[in-house]
Amino acid sequence: MSQRFQMTRAAELESLEVFRDFISDCCAKHNIESDVVFELKLAVDEACTNIIQHGYKGMDPGSIILSFRIEPGRILVQITDFGHAFEPASAPRPNVDAPAEERELGGLGLYLIYQTMDNIDYQSSEDGNTLTFTKFLK
Amino acid sequence: MFKRLIVRSESKRIGPNPGNITVSQLIGDASLPVTLKALNSLPENPKLRLYRTLIPIQVLAEFDINPRTWKNPDKQTQVRVEADSGSDRVKISAWYGDDPQNEFFYLELADNPYNGIDLNFLLANNPISQRFYTDIDAEEKETLFGTVRRNLVEEEKAMRAGLAPGQIREGLRSSQTVFTHIETFLNMLSHHAVFLEPLTYVSAHIFERRGFAYSKGHQLMDTINKEFQPGGALHQALNGSTPFRQPRQWRTVRGRAWAIQDGILEVIGKKWDDLKMIKQVGRHAGVNTFPNAEF
Repeated sequence: MSQRFQMTRAAELESLEVFRDFISDCCAKHNIESDVVFELKLAVDEACTNIIQHGYKGMDPGSIILSFRIEPGRILVQITDFGHAFEPASAPRPNVDAPAEERELGGLGLYLIYQTMDNIDYQSSEDGNTLTFTKFLK
Repeated sequence: MFKRLIVRSESKRIGPNPGNITVSQLIGDASLPVTLKALNSLPENPKLRLYRTLIPIQVLAEFDINPRTWKNPDKQTQVRVEADSGSDRVKISAWYGDDPQNEFFYLELADNPYNGIDLNFLLANNPISQRFYTDIDAEEKETLFGTVRRNLVEEEKAMRAGLAPGQIREGLRSSQTVFTHIETFLNMLSHHAVFLEPLTYVSAHIFERRGFAYSKGHQLMDTINKEFQPGGALHQALNGSTPFRQPRQWRTVRGRAWAIQDGILEVIGKKWDDLKMIKQVGRHAGVNTFPNAEF
């Protein structure tokens, strides 16, 4: 048995807080541990920031559809947009070992998602780009 | 770095040769999309059987048109399908009475360059309601729904009668049924989505309610809603300077639409163009850029 929640907002920075609150609300309904909630919010924040800043670059921004599904033992978060496709595999690997003053600005978003989520699936086609990440519940 | 990453891109997937279609293609992988151009290469009868699913039988029944024969009780043909071999589009029209120009239903779908389907046009009018000549100007030139020319006298009459910009008669209020049919048809062809450009603010609002999201223009719709609120620039521009800019119009979808038709977006440095919407088959996006809207 699973439960699914969904919300859609414009791809703009003002929507990030709404998305974070949405994740908090969904998790609160299922008593999810606070460290998992924090990681999910971080991952959603980073992924949506990427879409806002790069996916819809150069165009009047379209929609971001955020869906949250909870199943026994795991949470699936799906983020759909209709902007430029993004290939996560081609993203440069940030040098997290370098001293802070020597690191390049940005680029940590995907790294953080990959570090905190248990499974990541990115699908791109004519009818949208969908990033799905899974968090297993202990 | 990656615990587990799967990247899939469906854009390289190629459907059947758009030039023709064969039984082997139809009985092949049912998940591959079939283009309209391919469908149009079918013989006439199977082609009509497939396209018949696009016209809701409830809409035809309203006007005593047999959904199987497309004829009225006087045995006159009332529906026409244009889907010529070699064409990448289908146009379906249904009319009331003797005049094929008196259409109450018109639907045009076309292949797009991205292996998808565009909804180019959808009209569902009540053919026995009053007609407003907003589609032609005083010199009888076509206004293209008020986009290139305007017939201000007729537009004002239409607005006062409760119509939206672009309408020449009141609607049939059948968009939900029509979209269910379109979506079923797309699913039959294994397409994942339908794309369109909303002609007016009213159209965009209706398409939102039917489950569409924006690939372009969601932010513009949010801005429009914000600026129509009391204190906003569009709200202030509803100053009674034209019949289409009356103070109370910010409250309704139609009122806003008429003001936008009248060019009010110039106040915020925007234009009503280049919005694009997408409906993923089987998914309602839940977009609502005018919460608690009054139509």
